[in-house]
Amino acid sequence: MSDQPTFTLTIDQNKYLPTDGREVHAILSIGSTGGAVTTQSVAAEAAEVIIIDTSGSMSGSKIREARQAAATAVQTLRDGVHFAVIAGTEKAVMVYPSGRTQLVRADPGTRKEAERAIGRLLAHGGTAMGEWLKLAGNLLTAHPSAIRHALLMTDGQNNERAEVFGSVLSAWSGTFVCDCLGVGDDWVPAELRRVAEAMLGTFDFVRNQGDLPEFFRRLTQTSMSKTVAELSLRVWVPQTATLKFVKQVSPTLLDLTGKRTDVNPLTGDYPTGSWGAEEREYHLCVEVPPGHVGQEIRAGWVKLVRPDTQEVVASGNVLAQWTDDLAQSTHINRKVAHYTGQAELHELIQDGLSARAMGDVDTATARLAKARELATESGREDTARLLERVVEVDPATGTARLRRNVDKADEIELDTGSVRTSRLRKE
Amino acid sequence: MNPDQDPRHDEDRPSGAAGCPVCLAPVLDGDTYCEACGHALGSPVCTSCGAAAVDAEGYCERCGLRQPTGRDHAETVLDGGAAAVTDRGLRRSRNEDAMALLAAGDTIVTVVCDGVGSSPRADEASAAAVEAAGAALARGLPHREAFGLAGRAVSKLATSVDDAPACTYVAAVAEPGRVRLAWAGDTRAYWLPRPRPGEKAQGVLLTEDDAVETGEITAWLGADAEDVEPHVRTLAPEEPGTLLVCSDGLWRYLDGYAFPGTGTPLELARELLRQALHSGGQDNVTIVVIPLGDSHE
Repeated sequence: MSDQPTFTLTIDQNKYLPTDGREVHAILSIGSTGGAVTTQSVAAEAAEVIIIDTSGSMSGSKIREARQAAATAVQTLRDGVHFAVIAGTEKAVMVYPSGRTQLVRADPGTRKEAERAIGRLLAHGGTAMGEWLKLAGNLLTAHPSAIRHALLMTDGQNNERAEVFGSVLSAWSGTFVCDCLGVGDDWVPAELRRVAEAMLGTFDFVRNQGDLPEFFRRLTQTSMSKTVAELSLRVWVPQTATLKFVKQVSPTLLDLTGKRTDVNPLTGDYPTGSWGAEEREYHLCVEVPPGHVGQEIRAGWVKLVRPDTQEVVASGNVLAQWTDDLAQSTHINRKVAHYTGQAELHELIQDGLSARAMGDVDTATARLAKARELATESGREDTARLLERVVEVDPATGTARLRRNVDKADEIELDTGSVRTSRLRKE
Repeated sequence: MNPDQDPRHDEDRPSGAAGCPVCLAPVLDGDTYCEACGHALGSPVCTSCGAAAVDAEGYCERCGLRQPTGRDHAETVLDGGAAAVTDRGLRRSRNEDAMALLAAGDTIVTVVCDGVGSSPRADEASAAAVEAAGAALARGLPHREAFGLAGRAVSKLATSVDDAPACTYVAAVAEPGRVRLAWAGDTRAYWLPRPRPGEKAQGVLLTEDDAVETGEITAWLGADAEDVEPHVRTLAPEEPGTLLVCSDGLWRYLDGYAFPGTGTPLELARELLRQALHSGGQDNVTIVVIPLGDSHE
């Protein structure tokens, strides 16, 4: 089929290592044309589950916005997509199709029925996100050849024990992609971050309730634009080398290191989720054994593989060559430097916010002030502005001080947004 | 490369007794591929770790080492005394220079090409150019035609303009009383007049580099090269002397160098290689020494 998506893989690195150099860094840029999804006949099979938090805290205007948002998502589904709507409390309940644990095909009739069912949603009960994800997983895995996606919206904290929640996440990780939205200022970014990391999705903060339908529409549309259900990064390193980390660094930070599945002793697969027409970047670090000046090795062999067919859609080499020429070995590739900085910024914000929450003012001040500096330098104006609301720096003396009254929403937005990265500006 | 390990320890073992060199899973006699990892069995043996795991790109699939090619050091000597040496140098992982030195009747033909380091498979580019041009010149074809054939041979190696192997070029055809040169890029030819007794020889540069001041070359052979025409030059030396043809791995170390006035062409070529290696050996080194007139009896 001529509308199959094509993938490109380019590798940015400085292959030159000093004589005692052991660490090889490279940024992999992967682009996909996405293929054509112009008509329904060529569209990929898709399965979508919409999860609405209907716990007691959602009562009032929030449940009204949530109903509106879920209805918008349902309206956005194209004909033929298999879907369901789940209401989440301390248990997960099928809202549509009611009383049946299965997905239904979207058409004008089923969409109307789903909207009516959504309109009757009421807020009462607790919050057990693990239960919600389990039901979504059961529904979605009945469609193994589809692009499987869930959209989870919540306004509160999970009431499940951490290890219960954790075991659900690890059991279902990789079986479908889940994007999460947090509404209001009573939810915990760390919880949705765990879901996003396990399920290779995104998580976002809906600061104004009124924007909820728009968020739902956008996420549903993005999910339906995916054309490849799953791609793996297959990474080989030499027998005597160690793959230190594999991270997605753009558009958001996502550590894939722990998600390895061994292919053979030298090769592992790292899941990247589903793909539409998009570009992502990954940072790879390999520790190689010492080498001699002039020697060149392949330090990493990267292939982009469709796990269903084992087809290699793109590949490239990460190289290392030892040199005693310092001009060559001390040069740091711009992309590697940029994303190293973006990862550092994320860590500074996370460390700073948790130190602040624990009352460690000195650590919080130092980390957040440094983060502010980095955010400004790397073109993250939005993040710099949020940091400015948390920490103030005297422009004359450079002395930093935590602000006393910080808007909870600013803090959540800062926390949530720290995984986003800026692209490297062209020189 | 690790000298402690015997690079050939696996070679004579029956394949049924050994595991897959990459994933170490057991493999059966007669298998073409490892059932566990799909590695092609019977691949060339890595010079460093000894695994039969060198892939088509020249990397070992077990230890990663890019394999040195058979051109790490080679010498050629013709009956008339003309000699050529090519060497990897000290700082490159392999030799991407290539050279030809041939006799056709009383004519001596030499071609030296230097693979462009920033291009892929530059070693294949220089080898292809030298083979095509050397054969053409030995058949008596004029310089421009030989250059054109070399250019096409190099262009054919490219899969696209973004994947275009490339090399520089210098060729010399030495006939009695006359030397014809052609070049593109920064490989060079020098004339070394026979020194007076007790003096050292001084080199006279015969070619003019296609390069900007910072060293980047402006002409080369390859699919990504614009219609490149070679420079050509003919000289008729009145005195006996020596023609030196070389890659930049040598001439970058010739500033202020005094050539020895005695010795055979091969001795001179080896001496020049030592000069390059002792000065740092940053690049591959190729040296062709052709005595002209009666200076070599």
